[in-house]
Amino acid sequence: MRIIACYSNKGGVGKTATSVNLAYAAAQAGLRTLICDLDPQGASGFYFRIKPSKKLVEDKFFKDEARFIKSIRGSDFDMLDVLPANMTFRDFDIFLSRMKNSQSRLKKALKAVDNDYDLILLDCAPNISTLSESVFKAADGIIVPVIPTTLSERTLEQLLDFFKEHKLDRKKLAPFFSMVQASKKLHTETMERLGTEYSKMFLNTPLPFSTDVEKMGVHRAPVGTYASNRPVGKAYAALWDEIQDRFGLKAGK
Amino acid sequence: MTPDTSDMLILAGAVSADALGETLGKLALDKPDATEPAGFELLDSFDQAVRKSGAVLIDSGGTLHLMQPGGVVKSQAAKRRGNYVADLADGPVKDALSFVSDLRTLQVVGRGTLQQSFAAAKDDEEKTHARVRFSTLAPAGGGEEITLVSLQPLRGYEKSFEALGSRVQTVADGPELKARDLYARLFPETHDFDPKPTVAMSGDETAFQAAIDIIRAFLDVARRTEAGVIADYDTEYLHDYRVALRKIRSVISLFKGVFSDEETARLKETFSDLMAPTGRLRDLDVYLLERDTYFDLVPPAMHDGLTAMFDMFAKERNAAQRAIARRLGSADYAKQMQKLQAQFADPKKLKRGPQADRPAHDYACALIWKRYRKVCKIARSIDDQTPDEEVHELRISCKKLRYLMEFFAPLFPAKDIKGLIKPLKVLQDNLGLFNDYSVQQESLQDFLDQKAGRGRKQDLVIARSIGALIAVLHQRQLKERSRVVASFAQFDSAETQDAFRALFKET
Repeated sequence: MRIIACYSNKGGVGKTATSVNLAYAAAQAGLRTLICDLDPQGASGFYFRIKPSKKLVEDKFFKDEARFIKSIRGSDFDMLDVLPANMTFRDFDIFLSRMKNSQSRLKKALKAVDNDYDLILLDCAPNISTLSESVFKAADGIIVPVIPTTLSERTLEQLLDFFKEHKLDRKKLAPFFSMVQASKKLHTETMERLGTEYSKMFLNTPLPFSTDVEKMGVHRAPVGTYASNRPVGKAYAALWDEIQDRFGLKAGK
Repeated sequence: MTPDTSDMLILAGAVSADALGETLGKLALDKPDATEPAGFELLDSFDQAVRKSGAVLIDSGGTLHLMQPGGVVKSQAAKRRGNYVADLADGPVKDALSFVSDLRTLQVVGRGTLQQSFAAAKDDEEKTHARVRFSTLAPAGGGEEITLVSLQPLRGYEKSFEALGSRVQTVADGPELKARDLYARLFPETHDFDPKPTVAMSGDETAFQAAIDIIRAFLDVARRTEAGVIADYDTEYLHDYRVALRKIRSVISLFKGVFSDEETARLKETFSDLMAPTGRLRDLDVYLLERDTYFDLVPPAMHDGLTAMFDMFAKERNAAQRAIARRLGSADYAKQMQKLQAQFADPKKLKRGPQADRPAHDYACALIWKRYRKVCKIARSIDDQTPDEEVHELRISCKKLRYLMEFFAPLFPAKDIKGLIKPLKVLQDNLGLFNDYSVQQESLQDFLDQKAGRGRKQDLVIARSIGALIAVLHQRQLKERSRVVASFAQFDSAETQDAFRALFKET
């Protein structure tokens, strides 16, 4: 089992859409996939029409293995399951701070379904917290959506600094350009600058800004089910291929 | 990710998703349009490997559907290069059929019309909780219609899945059928079939009755293979045919005293004569199946000769196949087989021997114990210097012991027999390879003498290749020979000795 997180310390960058669409791509590629919604708003569960978990509340996520396993729901798609979030997930930091070895707690919880999945995709809430530190420890790879604007650039730098300060492995980080509008000069210039500065780190596929992604809220399904041949559908597929290569994710492994 | 509770039900008659109603508790039953009726072919290998796995394989409208016991339905394009599983396009059905022997083709068991309908139980968010697919098969012949119901659960929605399963039960017309009854129900003219049948024994029968039952079962196997041998679907039909006849011949020769001496001699001759004409074709089949192995045994420089040799084998094989097809298709042959079947169906006219009325169990114990002692006696006299003839004799004796144990297996606890056959098989594998290498050298030499000794240009090339091949086979034979003493030692453990004594030695 491999763990990939989709993370950004900034909100509204297309994180949940990325998690949902990459999870769908992984399942289509034959990987037994679990998307684990860590964001108390529960948006990824919403996209799969799955109701918030009622019983996986407070610290049960970390302490009650049977309840954790029971809360997983099959999506409408083969090979793809979802662990939906609920509002009590917003207090994960408090629970974790009360526990010993708080940074390894997340990985321990996920171990419960080690044999059931080839890939667990973590959809994270936008902040740097005790939970995010657990995510950084647990994940084999961290996908970071970056809108090519000055503010996003700044949050990426903050993240890199955080990794440096806490002696975390920066090789896990795989940022990519999200919600790109080629017509905006700011976007193209930022992409060029960041692309040069962090050439090895960035994934090559930019994800265009698209109403097809916004329509996920209407369809309540991954883009691949209704717009696989549109530019953004193809971009998600290409992004998945890159991630598969970078982190060695192949079906049956 | 699919819970173990998933299921495939087989229902009598035509049942469609419409029968389920509109709701399931709080859930809505969403029913997409049913498919239009389309022709289908039910496929399986001759040994019915698909049926035995509990699955159903259907080719309909250009798509292969594999309905598996877990309620999982796999589908892929039906287009294929040939009839072996390896000939299918890469896909989920091909992957799931890896248990089918790569020597056996998939053949049409029967034909008919398929109609599929679907339902999904969905909540107020339109999230699916469980799915069901009804595949109604209406056979073309005199069989009965059935419906395969594939129930697919989704993780975390177990209650909805159970509710859907119960709903399906309520709309079922009659009791649920077993997967193993499916073929017989759809196509009464085909039977559930196993080319290696275990002939049931009650323990009350006489030795004579046991012999008759076994012979009858294998005569039936031999007859069922004939159409496949004639059509040349794959090599295994002839192989099964020969194995069946060999088993019959073994019963006749090993079950001493069951038939009169005269009857034994007559029957032995009859079945030997039936088998003999097929020997060359089987040899050629084996060569051609092992083609790649032979090429791997000698350096590439020697491959030209092998290519020429295998071309000759292929030609000869086709001629031999045509001859066997003619033979098995002839009226004389059919008459002879019908006569034999009649004799064993009503065996009053078969002349009995002195052991005929002995209870089968006692008789089996005596035969097996005697044969086991003989195997041990020969084996214990073998060392590294013993002539090969003795080793061959040991091989034959082991084979007879194995046959006897398998014929009479139903009279003894399955676990005990299995526990004894396992170490015997290890010894037999060693002796079998030793023999195969020896036979192969001889027949290659014969081929060289007869077919490639006419002074043609290619004969020299072939001779060089065969020479190299014989040298390698000889080395392999020596290697197997050197293992015989150790192989027997592992078979001759104190535990195995005790087990044979406990099971078969009369007290």
